[in-house]
Amino acid sequence: MSRFGEVVGTNEVAVNANVIKLDNVRKTYEMGETSVHALKGVSLSVEEGEFVTVTGASGSGKSTLMHILGCLDTPSEGHYSLGSEDVSRLSREDLAEIRNKKIGFVFQGFNLLPRTSAAENVEVPLLYSRPLEPASVRKQKALSALNLMRLDDRASHHPNQLSGGQQQRVAIARALVNDPELILADEPTGNLDTDTGREVMETLVELRAKRNITIILITHEPEIAAYGTRIVSMKDGLITSDTSNQ
Amino acid sequence: MAQRMVLNVKLAVDSLNRNKLRSALTMLGVIIGVAAVLTMVALGTGARGSVEQEVTSAGTNLIYVKSGNYTRGGEGVGILSGRGAADTLSVADSEEIAKLLGVRDISPGNSLRTFIGFGEGQSFVRIQGVSDAFARMYAWDFLAGANFSSAASDEVIVGRSIAGDIFGSYVDALGKRVQLRGSSFEIVGVIDDSTDDHNEVLFIPWESLQSTINKQNLDSIIVSTNRAGEAASVAEEIRLMLRQRHGIINEANAEARAGYLANQGGAGGIPDDFTVETQAEEVLTRGLYTPAAAFALANLPKLDQVNLEEMTDTLDKANETMTALLASIAGASLFVGGIGIMNIMLVSITERTKEIGLRMATGAKKTDVSRQFLVEAVTLSSVGGVVGLLVGLMLAQVVTLILGWPATVTFVSVVVALGVAAAVGVIFGYYPAQKAAMLDPIDALRAE
Ligand SMILES: Nc1ncnc2c1ncn2[C@@H]1O[C@H](COP(=O)(O)OP(=O)(O)O)[C@@H](O)[C@H]1O
Ligand SMILES: [Mg+2]
Repeated sequence: MSRFGEVVGTNEVAVNANVIKLDNVRKTYEMGETSVHALKGVSLSVEEGEFVTVTGASGSGKSTLMHILGCLDTPSEGHYSLGSEDVSRLSREDLAEIRNKKIGFVFQGFNLLPRTSAAENVEVPLLYSRPLEPASVRKQKALSALNLMRLDDRASHHPNQLSGGQQQRVAIARALVNDPELILADEPTGNLDTDTGREVMETLVELRAKRNITIILITHEPEIAAYGTRIVSMKDGLITSDTSNQ
Repeated sequence: MAQRMVLNVKLAVDSLNRNKLRSALTMLGVIIGVAAVLTMVALGTGARGSVEQEVTSAGTNLIYVKSGNYTRGGEGVGILSGRGAADTLSVADSEEIAKLLGVRDISPGNSLRTFIGFGEGQSFVRIQGVSDAFARMYAWDFLAGANFSSAASDEVIVGRSIAGDIFGSYVDALGKRVQLRGSSFEIVGVIDDSTDDHNEVLFIPWESLQSTINKQNLDSIIVSTNRAGEAASVAEEIRLMLRQRHGIINEANAEARAGYLANQGGAGGIPDDFTVETQAEEVLTRGLYTPAAAFALANLPKLDQVNLEEMTDTLDKANETMTALLASIAGASLFVGGIGIMNIMLVSITERTKEIGLRMATGAKKTDVSRQFLVEAVTLSSVGGVVGLLVGLMLAQVVTLILGWPATVTFVSVVVALGVAAAVGVIFGYYPAQKAAMLDPIDALRAE
């Protein structure tokens, strides 16, 4: 079942199931003689429909946390459950499948393929779904995700023909296209001016309201963090505060 | 599976299209390699074909049956006791030879050197009676006119030297009449054939010549076999048959029948009254006028067979050398082309590290990434292969047009050229594709 048509128009957020459960997660990078403790025991539960913003100084471990949450990396110690599945010890290939099905990424630098149309950029995650859907279905899904971002008239534009805000909305459409349980955004407004950054944040707020989608967003700017329903602060690889922001 | 393949090909074509000039330059190595290989194979095949044709037209499949015998007759005696200029080869003999298995064409006839009259003048020429198949046996080129219509007609053919000496030009010779011992013949063809000095011969239909010079028996019968390799065995059969027909057979010469003592004739002391030689023997003994030399060579056992084998051997060796040369040229040019592809794929992967990271983040597995780049490399080399094929076909045509070398493009050479091009893509695309697949998604995403 697609969440596309399911929850449209519902403003109530049904907070029940845990989407994410981190249990005393540690991440240590071995650098020859020394080892860097990027995460020193992080526990965090996120429920469906929450909009969590993570703040903290540079080097506090935000990106490391996001890599683990995004199944791009695995914890050195501790456990991570995504949905009902413990994913902390899965193989690289299994993690790729989880990312494809359950997670949509939004990056600071947009990461759109150059000289490739917006629609084809949005289609990328669908190319790695198994079984592969027919080209016509893929195209249709890409167009409706662009439509959701109000970019349907830009479907055939290449990234260099789009503004920064439009590019980031194409990237959000790409994150949405495979109907994920979780959207992870690492400094999504970092490359945008204040107004455009606000616009993108409002798009995410609206999306969460419409689709009851779970969002975890990393930022070092307090005013961006303020868009979340819950604000988590980090310092030196540990969570220092975790407050609701309704 | 097939759908994913289609997808990968589309991704490859899109990606190569984004860098048209670079793709074209990268293909150049494979294009040149495949074109060179195809051209050389085409010319090689063509050249081999024309060598084979030349060997056939030079008459390695010819057998000369001559009246008379100048070889040794007595067992181990070592004196010349052949029958000399016997006159026993009959038209009936030639009719029987024509019926033998493996015989394709036959040309019985007589030959002489004499004066012929033309208009006011006279000229001393060599005259040979031949059948209408003779033109085919020697693959004659007609410079003017055509073959005569029947063995009994009053039409004749002249070699180019005679036509030039007597009439000035080939075309002028056509239609002119020549006189021989009261008979008149019309020149209907002028030929160019350097074998056996044919350019200096006047060819007369053999039956007409017999009635003109009033002869019943034949001086020679020239026989062609279906295949070059059969000449020796057919010659042996002719020998045995003629011995029987001429009453030379007896119990004691079983050994001779087995072919060990060719031309020796009856071991009991009755020598042959004819000579059977294959082309190889004839070529070797030509010009050896001393009876002793002719005797020595003519009595070498299986001389003709040895020669055919040697000839085949030489041809095979030439082919091997040619093939080795082609293979090394193909190998070198395709290797360079392959290195070019590998190089550009490595550059492309470095440039597109961020794209690879993005694809991995959105769910691409190692095999997805490696296959994408492998298909891209194979597409590059295959398109290069197709272009090279077209260039090669054109080059072969151009070489044929300008230099007149025959070129033969076979279906197999086309398939091999394309297969090799695709294989170059697989071999040289493998390492870059693996390198891309082994990238760490986080590092790749961070790349600039
Ligand atoms: N691949 C790595 N190897 C070694 N150290 C790393 C690696 N990734 C991150 N770190 C270190 O871990 C700490 C946390 O980094 P990061 O998660 O990127 O912080 P933030 O995103 O909050 O700036 C830093 O000290 C950083 O240098
Ligand atoms: Mg960071």
